[in-house]
Amino acid sequence: MHSHSGPSINRRALLIGGTALAASASLVRAGRAAPAEPNVVELTAAAGRVPIVGAPYPRTDVWCYGDRVPGPEIRVRQGERVRVIVRNDLPEETTVHWHGIRVPNSMDGVPGLTQPPIKPGESFTYEFTPPDAGTFWYHPHSDSLRQLGRGMAGAFIVEEPTAVSVDRDLVWMLSDWRLTSEAQIAAGFGNAMEAAMSGRVGNTVTLNGAVPDEVPMRAGERIRLRLVNTSLARIMSLRFEGHRPVIVAIDGQPCDPHEPERGRILLGPAMRVDLVIDMQGEPGRRYRVIDDFYEGLSYWLAKFVYEDKPPLRAHHLEPSPSLPRNPLPEPDLAAAERHELRLQGGMMGGGMMGMGGMQGMSHGASWAINGTSMTGDGHANMPPLLTLRLGRSYVLTIRNETAWWHPMHLHGYSFRVLTRNGTAVPHRRWADTVLVPPRDTVEVAFVADNPGDWMMHCHVTNHQVSGMMTVLRVA
Amino acid sequence: MNIRSFWFGATLATLVLPLPAFAESIQAMLYKNPQCSCCEGYAAYLRRYGFTVDVKPTNDLAEISSKAGVPEKFQGCHTMFVDGYVIDGHVPVNTIRKLLSERPAIAGITLPGMPWGSPGMTGFKHGPLHDLRGHQGWRAAKGLLHGMRKGMLVIGSLQPRAK
Repeated sequence: MHSHSGPSINRRALLIGGTALAASASLVRAGRAAPAEPNVVELTAAAGRVPIVGAPYPRTDVWCYGDRVPGPEIRVRQGERVRVIVRNDLPEETTVHWHGIRVPNSMDGVPGLTQPPIKPGESFTYEFTPPDAGTFWYHPHSDSLRQLGRGMAGAFIVEEPTAVSVDRDLVWMLSDWRLTSEAQIAAGFGNAMEAAMSGRVGNTVTLNGAVPDEVPMRAGERIRLRLVNTSLARIMSLRFEGHRPVIVAIDGQPCDPHEPERGRILLGPAMRVDLVIDMQGEPGRRYRVIDDFYEGLSYWLAKFVYEDKPPLRAHHLEPSPSLPRNPLPEPDLAAAERHELRLQGGMMGGGMMGMGGMQGMSHGASWAINGTSMTGDGHANMPPLLTLRLGRSYVLTIRNETAWWHPMHLHGYSFRVLTRNGTAVPHRRWADTVLVPPRDTVEVAFVADNPGDWMMHCHVTNHQVSGMMTVLRVA
Repeated sequence: MNIRSFWFGATLATLVLPLPAFAESIQAMLYKNPQCSCCEGYAAYLRRYGFTVDVKPTNDLAEISSKAGVPEKFQGCHTMFVDGYVIDGHVPVNTIRKLLSERPAIAGITLPGMPWGSPGMTGFKHGPLHDLRGHQGWRAAKGLLHGMRKGMLVIGSLQPRAK
């Protein structure tokens, strides 16, 4: 068996990478001064025009960060401080949420709850030290349907202290758009029928801001592929023709390396999966990456196109090693306090009709958690559903009583995913967004070590803004 | 509703519908959310009554529905095209037959909100499906279709009736 060390492989990656292969190399590498100095990144949120579909279609009017879709990639090393100065040149208020990064509450970017919104023409400075290495992302938490739906999202990569030995590190920012025949973003973001069903699933999926096509690969290389689903509502189930990807991290948190069930990587809105793939295809051949989540609506997302060159190395590599674990506190399950979150509402199965008798339903809400609907994107004085004691372990049972899928996201934390429908979840999985299928029950656990008012909501954005949102207070 | 939406619906239906194989079988093209199972129940219901139903899953339902002239607040969970008319939601078969025999100058019929007990839905009917007369500008007439102008007939109930 061939063994290798990180640095030499990385150098080789640069050599074979060239410009064409480095398709998703970092766009912005935060400047690194003395270790004590924070990395400084400036982000401007504004309207822009970007070539999403490509000729002969016109450019698409979007809202974005740094005049590009996706926004500039922020890449720092674990434990390094980062300062992001966000300027708002949009015609409306905004905030930035650092999805999955365990930031202090005041940096979490929820309008009203953790900070005043950033008004048009104003700036806000976020500063924090990401405790965990992994694949994270940033997006607005204000008028989320329109702002995220019009293109505001970027990758936030926190590198491990020592480089992971792969030939190339690729980031795929996957976004879903509903475009008109003129390649413009279709109106109707707040459609009530969609809000009560699967949300605004679009008709065009982009990979790093463009309708995907061919991704060049070299036989024999080992890639790390960081998948980020930035869609408002689209769930993906990806399979890689002719390849055997290994999942090494979920939502930024390393897990025991394993091949996905049925060869499919399930990726709900806001979720991330890091894969290690040994490129075992034949030189000169093409292999499709297929998304077949929605029945009858399968499509190919991208094609791996192998260069017509001999394999990079003669021998197979050893199985993917585990990534180094992040400093997450292990919950004490025996002593943990347990709470239940029941997800309710939506169309079908008594959903819409069942909502009528619920308490606390505000007008126009389609969804609820434990009978109460919080709508919108966050505001001041949201009453917490639960108050958790700082330092104590908690188990949350998330019970999906609806007929629809819900990727449930907790701010400020990564949680251990314990069970699904009573069966233990393998591979030591952690997550910040757990996908709960219809009628399923998932148990998650965490230590309430990060004080503050933390939002918990469905990341199908239409569901969040129409009631599937709540607040957990840690004090 | 206006003439344009009516004609759009008619054109779309012409494009997507195959010519009827049997004169007595009513051909329908039903667009549904890929994750909604009750739409299949509705298709099965129509087939029991002799309709030929082509079911097509789509994530563009809101676009299809609004282009066919169904106002957003009255959109049902699936959209069907039958002989130039749009049928949105769980509309009973007798209503569709009446529509096709009387051929009023409307774009179609919608029954939003998936009431319990409506065709294809589970549960018990809480009462007769009633028209929503009085909803801003949307005319629903007694006897369903008699005397309709061009527009969208809205029937059904958004809320359960009191037991």
